[in-house]
Amino acid sequence: MKNQTSAGKKVLGFLGSNSVPIMFIIIVAICIPLSGFSPVFLINEIITRMGRNIFLILSLLIPIMAGMGLNFGMTLGAMAGEIALIFVSDWQIWGIPGVVLACIMSIPISVLLGWMCGKILNASKGREMVTSYIISYFTNGLYQLLVLYIMGAIIPIIHNSIKLPRGYGVRQTVGLLTMRQSLDNALAIRVAGVKIPVLTFLIIALMCLLIVWFRRTKLGQDMRAVGQDMEVARDAGINVERTRIISIIISTVLAGFGMIIYLQNMGDMATYSAHSQIGMFCIAALLVGGASVDRASIGNVFLGVVLFHLMFILAPKAGGVITGDEMIGEYFRVFVSYGVITVALVMYETKKRRAKAGMAAQLEAAQREEEQQ
Amino acid sequence: MNKRRLLFCLITVLVLVAIGACMMVIGRGHTIYFDNKSLEYEGQKYEAIRRINVNVNGEQVAKLSKKERGMATTMGQGFKFDIEVIREKDAEPERYSFDIRIPYGIDGIVVNLPGMIAELPQAAWMEEFIPAPTVEEEEDETPAEGDVMDDFGVGGDL
Repeated sequence: MKNQTSAGKKVLGFLGSNSVPIMFIIIVAICIPLSGFSPVFLINEIITRMGRNIFLILSLLIPIMAGMGLNFGMTLGAMAGEIALIFVSDWQIWGIPGVVLACIMSIPISVLLGWMCGKILNASKGREMVTSYIISYFTNGLYQLLVLYIMGAIIPIIHNSIKLPRGYGVRQTVGLLTMRQSLDNALAIRVAGVKIPVLTFLIIALMCLLIVWFRRTKLGQDMRAVGQDMEVARDAGINVERTRIISIIISTVLAGFGMIIYLQNMGDMATYSAHSQIGMFCIAALLVGGASVDRASIGNVFLGVVLFHLMFILAPKAGGVITGDEMIGEYFRVFVSYGVITVALVMYETKKRRAKAGMAAQLEAAQREEEQQ
Repeated sequence: MNKRRLLFCLITVLVLVAIGACMMVIGRGHTIYFDNKSLEYEGQKYEAIRRINVNVNGEQVAKLSKKERGMATTMGQGFKFDIEVIREKDAEPERYSFDIRIPYGIDGIVVNLPGMIAELPQAAWMEEFIPAPTVEEEEDETPAEGDVMDDFGVGGDL
C-alpha cells in the first residue's frame, strides 16, 4: 500500500514538473492526423528546423546555469551575427568560408555587447530577465543607427545590392544566396526521402559536448554555485560579478554563431527585423521543452524545438480543418506558445515566494523554540 | 591578468585572425562571364566560333553559339575550366583546358573565349565586369518607421 502511494506521488510529481511538454505532446498528437501531412514531410521540416534553431537555443543554457534566468539579451548576439554577415556579404566571401568568417567577426562585437549587458545585469540583480529584455530594445536602437546611418556613410559598404539607393544605410533585405545552406548541404545525406544536414548536426553535437564539459570545469562549477546562492558563492571566494558577466558574454557569442547558422539556412536576412523576435522564439521553445527559469538541460532544448516547431507546422493546417480558417490555428499557436512563457514566469515567482515563505516559517519556529527554552 | 593568460588570449586572437584571413582568401567569390564574341587586337580580328561548350569540374556550365555569353561562379583566386570548340557542323571538337588567376578585388570578370583560344595576352581577353547602373527610387528601400520600431507586427506606437 505504501509502495503504491509513493509510486502515485512519483507519477503526480513527474506530471506536475513536465506539465508543459506533456500538454504540447497531446496537442501535437491531436493535430498530426488532422493536418493530413505525411510523416516524411513532417520529419523533413522538423530536421530542417532543428538544424536552424538548436544552436541559438543552446546559447540560453549558460545564463540559466549562472542563475540569471532566461537571457532575453541573446538578441544582442543575434545583432552581432547580422552585422558580421552584412560585412561578409559585402566583401563577397561565399559558402562555408563566409559562414566561418562571419562567426569570427561576430565574436568581438558579441563580447563587447555581452560585457555591456553583463555589467548592467549585475547592477540589477534579481531583475535580470526584464532588464535584458529592455537592453535588447536599447541595443536595437544602436544597431539601427549603425546599419541605417553609419554603414555606407562612415563604414564603407561597396556593393549597391546591399547599400540603400540614397548612398548610405543597408537595404531591408540582404541576400545570402551565396552562402545559403552551405553548412546544411555539406555532408548532407538522404535517408528515405529525408535530408539530414550532417555537418550542422555535428556542430550542434560538438556544442552539446562543450556545454557538458563546461559544466564540469572550475568556471562551470562557479557558475552553478553562483546560480544556487550568490552570497554563499561570494563567501566561498568566487568573484560573483565576474562569473555572471562571463556567462552573459558566452551566451551572447553563442547567440551570434546561432544567428549566423539560422540565417545561412534561410538564405536571406531581414536587416531590421530578423533579430527582433528571435529571443522570444528561442525562450518559448526552451520552456515548451520543459525548462524553467532556473533549470534547463540539453534535452529540454531538443524536445522544445521539436514540439514548438511542430506547432508552427501543424497549427494553421489543423486550425483550418477544425474551424475552416487557418488563421484561427495560427492564433491558437501564438496564444499557447506565449502563454507558456507567462505561465513559466508566474510559476517561477510563485515557487520563489513559497520557498521564501517556507524559510521564514522555519526561522520563526526556530526562534519560538529558542524562546521556550 | 597574469602573463600565461595574456599569452593564451593573444594566441587565440592571432589564430582567429589567421583563420579569418584564410577564409577571406579561399572564400572570395567571383563570377566569370564567358563571351563567344569577335575580338579585335592589334589590328587583327579574332572571329566568334560556331559553338563552344564550357565545362567546370566536369559539369557543363555554358553552351555558347556566336555572340552569346555564359557564366559560372567560383571561390578563390584560381579558376580551372575546359572548353570544347566546334568550328564547323559535324566537325570533331577541339578540347582546351585553362587555369586562370582572378584578381582578388574584382567581383566579376569577362573572358573572351576566341581571344583565349588564340593565345593572346591576358589583357586582351580578360576585363572587369561592370554591371549596368539601375535607376531606383530612393524611398522604396528605406525601412518605414513601423518596420524599425514595431517588433510585434501591430503597427503604430507601442
